[in-house]
Amino acid sequence: MVKVFNALLVMGLLVSAFFLYSLEHSTRGLERQIAKMKTGVSNQRESIKLLNAEWSSLTRPERLQKLAEDRLKLKAITASQIVSVADLSSKIPDHPVVKLDDQGTDPIGDILAKMQ
Amino acid sequence: MMENKAELHTPKGSEKLRGQNRIRLLGILFSASFFAIAVQLGQLTLKPKVAPANPELAAHETPIPRPDIIDRNGVVMATDIAVASLFADPRKIIDMDEAVESLTATMPDLDSKALRQKLMAPGRAFVWLKRQVSPEERDAVYNLGIPGVGYVNERKRVYPLGRLAAHTIGYVDVDTKGIAGIEKFLDDQGALYTASLTEPETSTSAPAQLAMDTRIQHAVTDEVAKAVIKFRAKAGGGIVMDTETGEILAMASLPDYNPNSDDKRLTSDQQNKLTSGVYELGSVIKAVTFAMAFDYGTATLTSKYDTRSNLIIGNARISDFHAQRRILTVPEVFTNSSNIGTAKMALQVGVENHVEFLRRVGLLDRLITEVPESAKPLLPKHWSKLASVTAAFGHGFAVQPLQGLSVVSDLINGGMAIPPTFLKRTKEEADVLAHRIVKPETSEKMRYLFRLNVEEGTASKADVLGYRVGGKTGTAEKVVNGRYSKEKSLATFIGAFPMDHPKYAIFVMLDEPHATPETYGFATAGWNAVPTASKIIERIAPLLGVTPVFTAEDLVKLEKQAKAAKKNG
Repeated sequence: MVKVFNALLVMGLLVSAFFLYSLEHSTRGLERQIAKMKTGVSNQRESIKLLNAEWSSLTRPERLQKLAEDRLKLKAITASQIVSVADLSSKIPDHPVVKLDDQGTDPIGDILAKMQ
Repeated sequence: MMENKAELHTPKGSEKLRGQNRIRLLGILFSASFFAIAVQLGQLTLKPKVAPANPELAAHETPIPRPDIIDRNGVVMATDIAVASLFADPRKIIDMDEAVESLTATMPDLDSKALRQKLMAPGRAFVWLKRQVSPEERDAVYNLGIPGVGYVNERKRVYPLGRLAAHTIGYVDVDTKGIAGIEKFLDDQGALYTASLTEPETSTSAPAQLAMDTRIQHAVTDEVAKAVIKFRAKAGGGIVMDTETGEILAMASLPDYNPNSDDKRLTSDQQNKLTSGVYELGSVIKAVTFAMAFDYGTATLTSKYDTRSNLIIGNARISDFHAQRRILTVPEVFTNSSNIGTAKMALQVGVENHVEFLRRVGLLDRLITEVPESAKPLLPKHWSKLASVTAAFGHGFAVQPLQGLSVVSDLINGGMAIPPTFLKRTKEEADVLAHRIVKPETSEKMRYLFRLNVEEGTASKADVLGYRVGGKTGTAEKVVNGRYSKEKSLATFIGAFPMDHPKYAIFVMLDEPHATPETYGFATAGWNAVPTASKIIERIAPLLGVTPVFTAEDLVKLEKQAKAAKKNG
């Protein structure tokens, strides 16, 4: 009776020890993974910062202005070029003639109608 | 002995039973103690105690990260990037000559003599070889394999926008400690604000958001820079401010500097003239005198002032630059920028009330904002009648240009004093800080005068059609060797738009501008500072979302301009 009981206890001990060690092993694995991911995250954060700074440097107004002056044939906007939505219909140029009936739909007109 | 005694007193049959009882007792004791250990073990594994018992100590261990600085639209203006710094432990270096030779070979900008001296210094265990090197340089030096040479990862502050807004942002030293501008504010007075941005869980920090708009900042810098070259001025400056919230959307002082360069020994010219310099702002201060006269009720828009003869006070004679030699109404005094008329308005108010008013609007105290470089105003030692009269047209006392703009902005925004700020602020936050300095009616009159001065006064070149600009010019003669110079002057313009409900105030300043053939030999503000302001407004108004409104007169003018352009083009 005692022998059987002891044998059972030893078995239990072995099983629980195995269970405990396998658990610990997997925990360590996960911990390593966490640490790896954390450094990964901080590396990514670092490169995001660097890229943001680079983006900011590349899109700085001074540089864009220089590029625009060199490459584009655009002029600065003047106040008279800004028109309110309500006045838009009176600003449609005569040429080329807009033939709404041929087009069938009027996408811009629909947008304007929605805005008003 | 004990066994024998027990044998003597107990019968043989019960002895076996007794032994078994003892074993059982031992068993119970053992299992109880093992059980206690198991429970404790279980508790410890399931609920590990979290380390820091003293949270204060833990907070000190992790350094507070330096927040990035971004503009009002989220554009990065200052950020930290990781770099390496090389150091050496001279005691561990075996062959000094070889070390110095190979180090200078990999980093040609190191001076071998200075390096040798540094490494040979007795008793040193730590010497910086070079701070903030590039990753390539770091690897190159590391691969040399010199014993005693190593590197640490550090953070370096970079300013991606370069010179743009350098004066506002300021800069840090090699240990990333703020030395000037907002950077200094983050370390000193603004330390609480900085701490409020940190997120301890991720040991990061939310960025500090400025009121500045980099697009507007660039437009102002660009136009002022062009004007400085065109009029061969010594220096220039421009500010754009939100009149309702006190936010400074742009502030440019030229010449400026590059905050990314290692050597930042600024010359006095490179200082921020708009906050760390004080100037006699001249005629733009007349706006303050007019507001004062309206507010005390000593003058109305229909009052008249005799400017036929010069005003004599003691030994001083006050004359007009644009002399009219007739009786002027109040709007005419303003649009002709008459010193005599303005002086008479100040005399009516009286010296005591004048000083009281200047104090109320905040021209007598040092203006304090987040940017730590702020100068105290230079005031007359004794407020005599003459001092009051000269102060009425902006002479005899000097203030920060930003202060001048802020006061004018308060006078036309409805009469509420709102402290200017470089940090982003909402209208609600501004309303809490605001307090009334002049009556709303006074503010209404000032708006009328400002607009009138652009329509038909000294600031007519500021009229950007559609945006309803208003403003006042000032050409202050500079003091050279204790006398007012006829040649050297400070040209200023303070304006606002759209004038029917001023939302943005603008300041332009040119230090010692020269006449050009285009200005017909004039070097007064109306010919240089005003056109500069007009160009700035034309560029920034669409960015600020100001809707242009054209009157019938404007349309006629526009047509004329278009025709003229066709003829020329």
